[in-house]
This record gives sequence, structure tokens and C-alpha cells, in this order.
Amino acid sequence: MESLRQILSPNFLLRNSVYTSVLIGFACPLVGVFLVLRRLIFMGVALPQISSTGVAAALSLPLWLGLDLSGHDSQITHVLAFAGSIMFTLIAILALAFLERRGRGQPEGRLGTAYVVAAALSILLLSKNRYAELGWLDLMKGEIITVSNFDLALTAIALAVVLVVLGLFHKELMLVSFDRTLAVTLRKNVVFWDALTYLLIGFTVSMAVLSVGPLISFGFLLVPTLTAHLFARTMRQFTVFASLIGGVASFIGFWIAYQWDLPVGPTDAVLLGILYGLGFVVKTIAPLRGSSSPDQTTPDGRSQTG
Amino acid sequence: MKTNAHPAFSHPLPSDGRGTNEPIITFDDLAIGYDGRAVLSGISVAISRSSFTAILGANGSGKSTLLKTLLGLQPPVAGQIEINVPLNAPLIFGYVPQTTELDPLYPLTGFDVALMGTYGRVGPWRFPPHNEREFVHDCLRATAADGFAQQKFSRLSGGQKQRILIARALATRPDVLVLDEPTAGVDAAAARALLEFISQIHAERKLTILLVTHDLSLVRQHAQQIIWLHQGRILHGTVAELFTPERMAEIFEMEVG
Repeated sequence: MESLRQILSPNFLLRNSVYTSVLIGFACPLVGVFLVLRRLIFMGVALPQISSTGVAAALSLPLWLGLDLSGHDSQITHVLAFAGSIMFTLIAILALAFLERRGRGQPEGRLGTAYVVAAALSILLLSKNRYAELGWLDLMKGEIITVSNFDLALTAIALAVVLVVLGLFHKELMLVSFDRTLAVTLRKNVVFWDALTYLLIGFTVSMAVLSVGPLISFGFLLVPTLTAHLFARTMRQFTVFASLIGGVASFIGFWIAYQWDLPVGPTDAVLLGILYGLGFVVKTIAPLRGSSSPDQTTPDGRSQTG
Repeated sequence: MKTNAHPAFSHPLPSDGRGTNEPIITFDDLAIGYDGRAVLSGISVAISRSSFTAILGANGSGKSTLLKTLLGLQPPVAGQIEINVPLNAPLIFGYVPQTTELDPLYPLTGFDVALMGTYGRVGPWRFPPHNEREFVHDCLRATAADGFAQQKFSRLSGGQKQRILIARALATRPDVLVLDEPTAGVDAAAARALLEFISQIHAERKLTILLVTHDLSLVRQHAQQIIWLHQGRILHGTVAELFTPERMAEIFEMEVG
């Protein structure tokens, strides 16, 4: 308990890392809800990888331009990484969404290819850049030990914007996701609302990748959402449960990592996996009271009832 | 099966005294298809106001394409669709999709689904106000769906889902109720009950109804007009005109051929 008391102390040396981790934990599932409901789980895997490729490209840029940033403030590196991450993520998500709308080819094939190419491209980009490779490897491992006040403020502002937009337009985003034909007949601009959904997802993924790396971003985007889906009966429950699971798991994960000197990101991911497994077991062996039958609708398959 | 009349549902006829034979939708030499290639052309049909029209045809005959074109989901290849509503107001479609088109993954209650019908009147960053929510409850009562509206939509039976979706369509305050294969996936008894129910809504509220189906026997007792899409041809007429032994023989001969 001593370690918990230390973490909760306002003078805790790594408090910015705790705050960032918890912010990402709360925010990622909010957009992960749309990835799961639109059956775009593979996009949740591919996007963080593409985002980290953007970081790799941005960190390689000074080398290509013959600039030496090694002696400069880390804020410049961070801004550069953010620009690369968000540019790659938004271009990728809009391109993938466009192809999804056209309905040609196999979506899984496209996303799998995007994932593999992005991962390979990252390695190629950094193979000649020792300075950038070190920064990128920290990111890949989910090292969130050193978070400056600037980084924390940037993350908090960005995620607050996402939260506000989601809250204001939840009705429209949900309508276009659930029944686009109805949305068209109600004269909603479905292209605009689709684009906004993807922009929110891309923006959140970029922020999360910069803060906790691609692996953990994927974990926070999808695993709390899938866990919440096991128990939620309404959209409000679904969104709130997912966000709470993500936020609380990120805090407990940080505590465990601090207690046993483990890397924070992987600890979070394993913890989320355990929670999902436990949730699945509980749902399977003890259906919720009042349910006449267990809900057999899963993100992997269609409902067996109705 | 009774519907509960509600003043909000009353469907005003045009103030200029136009009767129910006045066309509300006119397909004018319409060609429909995908990517500029017509799958069906030369469609010139008028849908009368307050009529009950069934669009019949086998799979692949172009029923869904015609519906998508009418709803604005895809542009016509040629020709046009004329809309005749008072004061040039936009025509409001109350669309009832096939239940299989809606993903059961969404944790929505029946009420949540029906509430979406009001979203055309409730702008962005606003929650549906109390009067709209009350109106949705009225629609659910009118379709006898209020008893299961708080249950998860994905767990309802096919017939129950259809009632929720019809309530949602009524919640749009529609000029035209468009139903896409409403009896698909519903057992025979429930399908008959559903058609009677739709017929009753039509009679009580004087709504224009467009119903897409491939089930000839179900609609012949209810529909006034038939649009029959068959092998690139359009047959159009009243039930009495089309369902004569001679015409039926001609149609089925075409089917066999």
C-alpha cells in the first residue's frame, strides 16, 4: 500500500505519467466504441501502427534535411512526432474509410496489408537513424516514464476536445453508424458525419500513440470496449463502462508496474486482457439477472436471437 | 390487432383540395442502375397520394435499386423522380428497413431505435426534448410496441422488431411510409398479422404506403396498386387489373420463360 500512497501523492515524481496514462485509459475506449460497433477492430490494430510509422518518418525528417536536433529541446521533437503521427493517421483512416465505403475488395486484407507495410516501413525508416530509433523504441515499448508538463497539457487538451465533440454530436454519430439509410432519408450529411467520426478516431489514436505507444493504444482502444460490451444493455452503459474500465485499468496497471518495477504499457495491456477474460467467464457461467438468455451477439458474429 | 389513433398522426391532405388520386411521386422515364449502367429503364409510374402500392418482383429484379433511387441513396441513371408536395416542402420518407440490415451488435433498446425517427427535427448538439420523447411513446403505443420497447432491440423477434421500426418511421412524421420486405424472416402467421396492421395504419392515417416484397399472395388483399418488376419490364396497375387469369398466365409464362 505504500506504493499506492506514493502514486497518489501530489509530489509523486512520475505524477504526469500517471495522469497521462489514466487520461488515455479513459479516452481511448470512447472512440473505440465506434470501431467495435462499426466492426472495424482490425482498423484499431492497423491505425496505431500507421501512426507510429508517422512518428518514425517525422523523427527521420531532420536527418533527411541535414539538420541536427540532438541538442534541442524535447518539445520540438514532440511536436514533430505529433505532426507525423496525426498526418499519417488521418491520411490512412480517410483512405481506408473511402475504400470501405466503396465496398470493393476485402477490408481485412487491406487493413492487414496496411499493418504489415507500416511496421516494415517504420523499421526501414529508422534503420539508418540511430537517434530516431532510440526514441521510437521507447515508444514501441510503451515507456511512459518521462512525461513533461507540456506533453500532459497537450494530451489533456486534445482529449478534452474529443470528449466535447463526442458529447455534442453523439446522436448524429450514432445514427450514421447504426442506420445510414435512415440518416439519408432524414437529410443528414452522412459523408460529413462519417468524416468527423474518423477524424475523432484518428486524432485520439495519434495522441495515444505519442503518449503510450501503438501496442498499448490498441489495447485501450478495443479491450475495455469489448469487455464493456459483454455486460452493457444500453449505449450509455456501454460507453461509460468502457471508459471506466480503461481508466481504472490504466491506474491499477501503473500501480502494479511501479510496485514490481515493470514497464507500464505492457502491464496495462496484460491487465486489460485478464479483465476481458474474467468478464467473458463471468458472462458465460453467470448470465446477468433478468436476462432470459445470454446475449449471443458478439463483435465477431451476428445475433443468434431475434 | 388494433392501432391507437393519435391526433399527431393525422395526415393533412393538401389545403388546395387535391384529392387522393393526385400523384405524390412520379417516375418520369426513369432508368435505375449502378455506375451509369441501367438495370431497369423506361419506368414511368405515378404513385397516388394516400395509396397503398406494392412493388413486386423476384430477387435481382431491381426492387431494391428502385427503392434506393427513390430514397436518394443513389442517383438515377436517366429520367427523374418528380415529387408533388404542398409549398415545395421536402418529402419525408418513413423508411422501414429489413431487420437484417441493422447490426445486432449495437446495445440499443427498442425505444432508442424508435427515438432515431425524431432526429430529423432535432438538430446537432441537442437532445430530443420531452415532447418528442412523448411522441415516440405515442408511436410505440400506436404500433403496439410499447410493451417491449425497453428491451434490447437485438433480442426482439422479427415481428417485434418490425413494429419498433414502423414506430420509428411514424416518428419521422412521414409523407410516405416505405417498407422494404417487412415480412422477411417473419413466420407466416406473423407476416399476415403485420400486413393487416400496415393496412390498418394506411386506412386510419391516410398515409401513402410503398411496400417492397416478393410475396404476391400476401399483398394482393391489401395493396391498391401494384408495380411488378420483371426481367427488365414494368407492369403497373391496380390489383383488379393485374390479377386477372390472363395477366397472371402472361406473367408466369414470362417467369418460366
